[in-house]
Amino acid sequence: MAKAKVGVVRFPGTNCDRDVFEAVGLSGAEPIWLWHEDLFDSAQFSALILPGGFSYGDYLRSGALAARAVAMKSVREAAVRGTPILGICNGFQILCEARLLPGALVRNTGRRFIDSWVDLKKVGSRTVFGGSLPSGSGIRIPIAHADGRFVIDDSGLNELRDRDQIWLEYQANPNGSIAAIAGVTNENGNVAGLMPHPERAFHEWMGGTDGRRLLEIWS
Amino acid sequence: MGQDQRDNKELQEKLKHYRLNESEHRRIAGLLGREPQGVEWALFSAMWSEHCSYKSSRVHLKGLFNKSERVLQSFGENAGVVDLGDGERVAFKIESHNHPSFIEPYQGATTGVGGILRDIFTMGARPIAVADYLCFGRPQAERMEKIVDGVVRGIGGYGNPVGVPTITGQTEFDPSYDKNVLVNAMAVGLFRKGEKVFLSKAKGVGNLVVYAGAKTGRDGVHGASMASESFGKDSEKKRPTIQIGDPFFEKLLIEACLEVMEQDLVVAIQDMGAAGLTSSSFEMASKGGVGFNLHLDRVPLRESTLQPEDILLSESQERMLMVVEPAKLSNVEALFKRWGLEAVAIGEVTAKKTMKLFWKGDLLTEIDPELLTEHAPMYERPFEPWTPSNRVASVADIAGESAADIRASLRTALSSPQGCSREFIFRQYDGHVGASTAADCHESVGVIRLKDSGRGLGIVLGCRPQMMRLDAREGGLDAVAFPALELAAKGFEPLAVTDCLNFGNPERVPVMSSFVAALSGLNEICESLVAPIISGNVSFYNETEGRGITPTPSTGVVGLRPTVTSLPKSDFVHEGENVFLLRLPQLWTSGAMGEVTGPESTGPRAFGTLNGKEIAALVTSLRKLTEGVGPHSPATENTISATRVVGKFGLGYALARMAISKNIGVRLSRSATQAARPDLAKMSFAESLFCEVSYEVLISSTESLEALRNRFASHGGDPRSLHLIGTTHGHRFVIESGSSSDTDPEGTLDVNLLELKMDYDSGWSSAFKNLSFERQY
Repeated sequence: MAKAKVGVVRFPGTNCDRDVFEAVGLSGAEPIWLWHEDLFDSAQFSALILPGGFSYGDYLRSGALAARAVAMKSVREAAVRGTPILGICNGFQILCEARLLPGALVRNTGRRFIDSWVDLKKVGSRTVFGGSLPSGSGIRIPIAHADGRFVIDDSGLNELRDRDQIWLEYQANPNGSIAAIAGVTNENGNVAGLMPHPERAFHEWMGGTDGRRLLEIWS
Repeated sequence: MGQDQRDNKELQEKLKHYRLNESEHRRIAGLLGREPQGVEWALFSAMWSEHCSYKSSRVHLKGLFNKSERVLQSFGENAGVVDLGDGERVAFKIESHNHPSFIEPYQGATTGVGGILRDIFTMGARPIAVADYLCFGRPQAERMEKIVDGVVRGIGGYGNPVGVPTITGQTEFDPSYDKNVLVNAMAVGLFRKGEKVFLSKAKGVGNLVVYAGAKTGRDGVHGASMASESFGKDSEKKRPTIQIGDPFFEKLLIEACLEVMEQDLVVAIQDMGAAGLTSSSFEMASKGGVGFNLHLDRVPLRESTLQPEDILLSESQERMLMVVEPAKLSNVEALFKRWGLEAVAIGEVTAKKTMKLFWKGDLLTEIDPELLTEHAPMYERPFEPWTPSNRVASVADIAGESAADIRASLRTALSSPQGCSREFIFRQYDGHVGASTAADCHESVGVIRLKDSGRGLGIVLGCRPQMMRLDAREGGLDAVAFPALELAAKGFEPLAVTDCLNFGNPERVPVMSSFVAALSGLNEICESLVAPIISGNVSFYNETEGRGITPTPSTGVVGLRPTVTSLPKSDFVHEGENVFLLRLPQLWTSGAMGEVTGPESTGPRAFGTLNGKEIAALVTSLRKLTEGVGPHSPATENTISATRVVGKFGLGYALARMAISKNIGVRLSRSATQAARPDLAKMSFAESLFCEVSYEVLISSTESLEALRNRFASHGGDPRSLHLIGTTHGHRFVIESGSSSDTDPEGTLDVNLLELKMDYDSGWSSAFKNLSFERQY
């Protein structure tokens, strides 16, 4: 059986692209590079991932410029089509800026970059990523961001809760995110974003393997 | 005023402006056979600066041990290259950015990281790790809190976006750095199998000289000569000579450069670092024995008013110079354009060894590049030979002898700026981008897993300034011995060394004497370990208002381990293990070392001499002991779970650090510890807990003493140097007095680890009131 094709979108300044590419391969799918300047045929892909980094140097706002890149037209098509799309860290920021995910990501309350392992709890089950994990599962993977504080207005938060769109929560809130939110999905459940980096928790020698539990959906 | 006087005044002003002295002026005139003209002044100023020419140090650097079978490239290129076998090679180098970081901490630190990264990927190696060696003044010193904040933000602000993990570091505090901080950055890059090493030697008459990357601005003009001067009261005014970095540009430049090299589109390549276009072009031509015709008006500019001299001296960041075959230019241009960057031909390679610089068609100068690169003056600065009597250290006495005193000393050490947690610093660095980090800043050795072979590359920084204050020769030796032992304690074989020699004014005899003594110590240990020094830089004139820094030869030592599995941690991980002390006592100090604020004592407070050969033998046997054992040896399993080399604040501090991290307690037997250390019999037990003995290593293992000794002996170690001194147990740090008598004056220490952890964690925010973060317990 042919492997599932997973598109990995690269913007100038993306720096977790090769890490995610490798992790997708380890997860049993075939990773394929997608370039920010090019449109692509969204029907070709079983899933898309927008990796972390500092696209366009975080100029203007994190993710703001990447959200307007050419390739995002195809990403939007895929979102409408129902293709599973995952944004990790800067990828999450881009999906929020593109309004494919609700809310926004702003500067951490401590106003500094944080690199740390964090404990997460799976809340919602709308996305296929980590789909086999029961709600309430504990997941330990690292964060590395300065703009990771998830914000949304009260009615928006209520909507997220009502529609089961809160995907992951921090056990101990590192960055001041509202309701300790670490990851959300769109209303349809096919688009998901999280600030922590699952690709950095794939082997015991990295410090843990919980990242596999989120990405191994093709094996 | 007569004409002669006026001429002389004009000359003096020129010399001052270009930071050249009269004898150098005479030397230039002699080499040219005439007076220097126009831009030539600027060329000589930059290329003959201490920073570029190494004119005070070269005579001593020549004798450095810099070759081994593994060394593919040593000094003379952008970085040294070491062969790891299996087709894998690493390039690495450490470099200083001290002066800019004191003036403008954020920008100084960012450009320090950017510059050292360019030295690595210029050679075709993808950067895989960064490490930072930082020396700050007392926390209460003027501007120090802001400087610490700016430097740390700067390192993260550059390293994080470019996507290179910062995996280890060292941070020191001492009053001698109050007005001259040290910011040394090391970068390591990997060549995978089949990837070519690129050099800067220009070749091929008719090939094009191509400028790539960011546009040239006015920033950093005269930077190299500024970095070669002592600071006075007016150092603030030097702000315009500071460069501004842009990590986004660097990230694009990394990808573009690695791609043009992978596609073999360039003949030679060099980054524009200190002295910018001047040093890169002159060095490339000089190494290749060729000439360049350079059209300065073709250089992409940020502002059109820049003059030829500015263009030659600008240290604008993120720029590269390449030699490209004409037929490949369009490919190079297209590839850079894809990454949003410009690549512009600004000249061509010529057969005659002459640099011709043009401006809008006019010839500005025609000059042999070697006059600037090879004929710089070489000074034999006066120094005095090293004598082992110069033992001056800043040492604090232990308050008293009782258990309460031991506990108080422990708490003081853990909460002092020198002894407290550095988490505030390293949590601001991305230590895991690249998905190859097997040990980060929490550990004493930073480890990157090499993707193709699965082997571990270990990186440790060295140089303990308190050892340098004690004795420059011992301190220089320790600057490699200590990190080599740290590597060996995790099963890594030390392979090679890079050094950054931070010293004061070399025109002062004591400074030059310490420089020579430190190099002799470095050289001895590197030869003994067969770990050559393959790259580095010298930073002189670390002096403000006549006061020099502690001589600080920082180092980066790189080691190799067969795998990254079963890597011993630096902290206790399991209860119920035996705690061993491995000893090679050569140098003893009395009192607790490393405090920041204590008065300077001048008495001979240390005795003994370090011996490189004996240390090297210990490194080898220790490495084999900790590498791991098992049916699929090496390193599929490991009876040794944790190791730590005992350093500042001695054994007591090291044990506390191992215990508090994962809240795994230790029960230390006082009698066994004393029996293991008969050489300290004259000290009180309290003092012996905090004095430094070089060298001691703590090991936590499930093995019995007999089993560990047998294994150590089988690896060539002396079994009698291993001692069982305690066990891991519970959540307290306990010292069992071994005496049933309640009247024992020193009593039994029994302290809760959480109390010690609070001290260790809160020390930083006590020292720096505005630099704290919320901890989650």
